[in-house]
Amino acid sequence: MSWWSFERRWLAVIWQTLLPSGTPGGLALGARDVPMDRFLDELLACAPRRVTLGARLCVWLLTFCPLFVIGRPRLFPALAEEERLAVLAKLGQSDVYLVRELPTLFKMLGALGFAGLPAVQAEMGLAVRDSSAPDWAGEPKP
Amino acid sequence: MSGVIVELADVRDQARVEDAADVVIIGTGAAGATAARVLTEAGLDVVMFEEGAHVRQEQLRSDMWSSFKHVWRDLGFQVASGRAFTPVLQGRCVGGTTTINGAIIHRMPEKIWARWRDEFGLGSALPYPELERIWDVLDRELFVGPAPEGVLGKNNSLMRTATERLGIAGNLIRRNVNGCEGSAHCNQGCPTGRRQSMNVSYVPRSVAAGARVYATCPARSLITRRGRAAGVVGQFRDPLTGARGPELVVHARRAVLLAASAIQTPLFLAKNRIGVGAGVLGKRLQAHPGTAVVGVFDAPVEMYRGATQGYESVHYWDERMKFETVAMPPELAMARLPGLGPELMRELAQYAHLAVWGVQVRAEAHGSVRAGLFGGTHIEYDMTDADIRVLKLGVRRLTEMMFAAGARQVLPGVHGLPHAISSVDELSPMFDAPDDPRLFHTIAAHLFGTALMGGSAFSSVVGPRFETHDLPGLFVIDSSVFPTNMGVNPQHSICALAWLAAERLV
Repeated sequence: MSWWSFERRWLAVIWQTLLPSGTPGGLALGARDVPMDRFLDELLACAPRRVTLGARLCVWLLTFCPLFVIGRPRLFPALAEEERLAVLAKLGQSDVYLVRELPTLFKMLGALGFAGLPAVQAEMGLAVRDSSAPDWAGEPKP
Repeated sequence: MSGVIVELADVRDQARVEDAADVVIIGTGAAGATAARVLTEAGLDVVMFEEGAHVRQEQLRSDMWSSFKHVWRDLGFQVASGRAFTPVLQGRCVGGTTTINGAIIHRMPEKIWARWRDEFGLGSALPYPELERIWDVLDRELFVGPAPEGVLGKNNSLMRTATERLGIAGNLIRRNVNGCEGSAHCNQGCPTGRRQSMNVSYVPRSVAAGARVYATCPARSLITRRGRAAGVVGQFRDPLTGARGPELVVHARRAVLLAASAIQTPLFLAKNRIGVGAGVLGKRLQAHPGTAVVGVFDAPVEMYRGATQGYESVHYWDERMKFETVAMPPELAMARLPGLGPELMRELAQYAHLAVWGVQVRAEAHGSVRAGLFGGTHIEYDMTDADIRVLKLGVRRLTEMMFAAGARQVLPGVHGLPHAISSVDELSPMFDAPDDPRLFHTIAAHLFGTALMGGSAFSSVVGPRFETHDLPGLFVIDSSVFPTNMGVNPQHSICALAWLAAERLV
């Protein structure tokens, strides 16, 4: 199942908001610095259909929710970074279970790609066992 | 005569594969592999079906996604629905869940066995001295012993410090590992092959004694002849793409053993209309749900060095809780950490300073398993309010232990509480909140009870000799037959019951 290019961009912004680059006192690498788009391809190719459908639905929900969450009539990717974080934080504190699981879902999916990369693990201080990146993060096939 | 492990790639060009054996076993996990070990060494000819792939040592990587893809069921996305979504952890490969568990070995507590004897009438079917005899053999053959001090690592030794300071019982975990290198990679599939999971112990041992293992080949239906189970039909299938291969037909001269786990076994039985009459098939699913508490320490903990799970406390077992360490891989830690954006990136930079310990609840809850409307599996599981109260108390005690061990902060992971707390008192609002599983992020492991053993066909699926009431020659030998959960990790008990069942066939 392939996603529209705008849906992929929306998800990229979500991941870049959750995992920003160059955080002082934090990791230097962020979602922008690693091939998360290729991880999305991997996810779409392998994950159960209900997972990818659910993720797609959640991307749409998050994209269109800022008006209802922080009163800003903009799509999520069009917000400033602080506003995007405010949206995610507010969702994460919701009393409605399914709503507060939204940021967790994106964190979990992003983590499987981002935190599995040897470069990221090295930054986290791990004694990295695999020196090479997973297959999905290698060079794109011609 | 040596056997063989056959996969889809080996038979792709064939229209149909046919075989015959004395005993056909469905599943290569703790139950199936143990039964194969007993039967092959008694001189019987054995064929095994396995839905997942045969993953070689060199294919294992340290990242969770690669592991999810090749070794875990449903790529780690299997969940139970209830008030909350609960991930249900299972392996799907040669060796089953033993390839991804923490290598924790416990014998069935005598109190649990006594309950099975008194409430379920299974005392004479499962004599405790017989089980102890088998556990002694399993201990020797699977190199069971306490986690060695040399590979304990700080995540484990900190829990020991906590138990000593608080005056509660704790112990090195007994594990089935031969020469553990302490790579903390149990959940990804042991990269050094030291853990004696079934894929490196009883499966190859059975193959060496002549067993044929058909991997990437889910069992589809039973063959019956003159009112007896007489074989199994499967179809080779790529576990990732679903691409189909040839049909496999295996005729069983003596018996078919079902050892596909407490999720897949009832589904297979229901699909073949066996055991449905009593109304308990797929019901009474029990588990050990649990959650993790994260401690932040000033000094490095480096939980990625040492045994994945090397220390535990069963001090409060009578209160239905057990504590154990768990070296959480970075991917799962990232999903568990509370921060977002820059806060999350700072938490990740602190990964080496985190300790993770879990509480496992001997839950009262009963769930169910059935085929999903659109394929797949539908699992329902909801902890009871009493279970949630146990979980709350467990989180509180783990938090006390973290602080006793010297944690600067604890990340309790409970909705409604601060992300990080500096004293146990800050947990108080949790006890004022409703007893609701949605307060926590829980997982469920150790699954039981979906094809009950019992004396009557009106209230159980299999009889005391593991044979289904409905179909002679078909035996269920996995944890589906357990009448209750146990409050400890069940691999050794599953192996022992399967061993007993296999011995009775010889």
